[in-house]
Amino acid sequence: MTQILELHDIHTFIGQYHILQGVSFTVPVGSITALLGRNGAGKTTTLKTIMGLTPPRIGEIRFEGRRINGMRPFEIASLGIGFVPEHRAIFRDLTVEENLKIAERKKGDYVRKQEMIFSLFPDLKRLINLRGANLSGGQQQMLAIARALVADNRLLLIDEPSEGLAPVVIEGLIGAIRHLAADSTVVLVEQNFLVASQLAEYYVIIEEGRSVQSGRMQELVNDKAAIHRYLGAA
Amino acid sequence: MEQIPAIMRKNLVLIITLAVMLVLFVAAASGMSWQDFVITLLRGLAVGALTFLVASGFSLIFGLLDVLNLAHGTLFMVGAYIGWTVYVRPDTFVDILTPLALIISGFTLGDVWRLLAQRVPQSGLWRRVLPWVAIVPGVLIGFGVMRGYPVASWSLENYAESPVTFSFLASQGQRVIPAPATFGDGSPLIAFGGLILASMLIAFGLTLLRQSDIHTAAHVSWRHVVPFAGLIAGGLVVFTVNEPLTAWLFALDTNWLFLIAVLAAVLSGMGLGALMESTLIRPLYVRPIYQLMLTLGLSAIGIEIVRAIWGRPEFTMPKPALFAGSGEGCPAESLWLALQNSCSTMLFQGGRIRIYNEIFIPLVGLIVLIAVWLLLRRTRLGMIIRAGVQDREMVEALGINVRRVFTMVFALGVGLAALGGVLAAPSIGLSNTMGESFLLNALIALAIGGLTSYPGAAIGSLLVGMLQQFIIKYGQIGIAIPLTGIVFKPSPPLVPASTILLMVIILLILPNGLLGRKE
Repeated sequence: MTQILELHDIHTFIGQYHILQGVSFTVPVGSITALLGRNGAGKTTTLKTIMGLTPPRIGEIRFEGRRINGMRPFEIASLGIGFVPEHRAIFRDLTVEENLKIAERKKGDYVRKQEMIFSLFPDLKRLINLRGANLSGGQQQMLAIARALVADNRLLLIDEPSEGLAPVVIEGLIGAIRHLAADSTVVLVEQNFLVASQLAEYYVIIEEGRSVQSGRMQELVNDKAAIHRYLGAA
Repeated sequence: MEQIPAIMRKNLVLIITLAVMLVLFVAAASGMSWQDFVITLLRGLAVGALTFLVASGFSLIFGLLDVLNLAHGTLFMVGAYIGWTVYVRPDTFVDILTPLALIISGFTLGDVWRLLAQRVPQSGLWRRVLPWVAIVPGVLIGFGVMRGYPVASWSLENYAESPVTFSFLASQGQRVIPAPATFGDGSPLIAFGGLILASMLIAFGLTLLRQSDIHTAAHVSWRHVVPFAGLIAGGLVVFTVNEPLTAWLFALDTNWLFLIAVLAAVLSGMGLGALMESTLIRPLYVRPIYQLMLTLGLSAIGIEIVRAIWGRPEFTMPKPALFAGSGEGCPAESLWLALQNSCSTMLFQGGRIRIYNEIFIPLVGLIVLIAVWLLLRRTRLGMIIRAGVQDREMVEALGINVRRVFTMVFALGVGLAALGGVLAAPSIGLSNTMGESFLLNALIALAIGGLTSYPGAAIGSLLVGMLQQFIIKYGQIGIAIPLTGIVFKPSPPLVPASTILLMVIILLILPNGLLGRKE
């Protein structure tokens, strides 16, 4: 199977802190891959490093075989990578529609994708003229994901989609993300192991800035020892 | 309907503050004659509009880039001086266009330089020395050529040829065409070649210096050569038609010439802004304190450069013909008649209103207010700016080149300041210190209105302008304090003090200013 994303021995520093100390993994095309690990293990930094927001000092990142580290974030995004950051960084001063329109990379992206986005998140259509600040947490999360769908992205990086959301809302979100994976590859950071295990086919465990174990999610679900060791009691 | 009480409750402090200000204002103004009141109000509007042009640019830049541009007042002043030059000495303006186009030309080949830089070995001594091997000769050649390059100019030593004299003559309607500057024994072709070479060397050297830029992909196609060739061709065309163009500008109606002067000032302001952001500010985004010191230093340097070029003495910029007439039918009875007869003033219940200062400047301020508002609300650039004020990283992660937007916003902000400067010049005259007072006014206005709020900048500027003009007026007529029979006449030092007092009071009640967002 071809790999859409390859990380090879990535080291990232933030200020003088050596946050990532050797992260390597690959992501197969069309899969959902979950990055697992405890708080502060470096999962979010890994996504930001892929996006070029915290560029790596050592190592190599390839997207569709092309080396992307050293590129600026907007160039990396323009290759076809969508980013849904943690805490759903939607633009509070912009309306829902503007939040979607700003993500256009080609003129007309929004009009073309409108139908698909609203069928996935029907709520957003109703809220189209509301300012981002006036949305609920779940609505903001949906908007953040929808925003990553406006441009033609072949890889989506989604950070903690279920954080702080009610179980009912999480249900809907799982459905939506599963739907997305039909057209694109998804890399997911998820604290909630239950959510991650329902969604992902593959997993990578990051522990203290290093990738320590990876494989098929099915195998991890049965590996109680590993779950206990790396993720705490799940 | 249900929303109104909620909005009122949310903004109770703001509403009470505004109400108290309104009551005080009405109480103070009630002792004034209607005619004085209207004229003072219009003067306040004029000062407010000029302050707004400085404040809005400053606030746009601060909001998106987090840069406190302390050189903003100096750029306001530079706008005024550039506008004056185009207006009073079009020959100098035309002479400068050609070398300017040639010096810029090399920088339009950005991707070509990047491609070349990628071919250079990426390490070693050669890598460190090469940029300077390009830049130093480039600068030397550039200076060498410009020293001998003929630009018609004024003289700071000889009073008969000083800016003051040229201003005076122009205001008398005497447009003496000074002797054109010509090439002595040097050949124009060598000079042009030298300038293009210097420009290319400097552009290439600067590209080499910027490590991070080199690694980004560079694509070169014939399209990249078009602006380069266009600039050179344009420069040469201007050179060949130099004399007729100069004569045409001198003969041109002053209204049109003023418009050209305004455009030239705004465009040079934008160019200066773009240059300043991309070369000096950009490396310092991670070090805000250095940035502050840099802009403060640039402001001092700017003032000295202006002194070196235009001299220390203050001089005026004549108003365009439309606002300068004093012949038959002037001062006019109404605005319509004033415009018909090109009067400089109109009568209003026995008082005189100066058309340029008190009608034209506020009008331009209003137009700019609406234009920038539309830009922010209705265009994609505006959307990106509003989003970027909140979260630059996320905007970049969507595939938008935020760095380019930064440059554009900086250029826009400086362009607005330059517009303010050139508009102020015929009203308050040109001096080396005109920028400082407006920067201070603008800072106070922004503190009052809320630092990054665009409507806040407008309201703050208006309040500052009004307050100053009303205090000046009360200095002349006195405020009758009710029930005491005492007439209080504010002394002139109270004019600047009053705005600071207003700022202090508002910040005590509303720590984020009138419309500022809570941090």
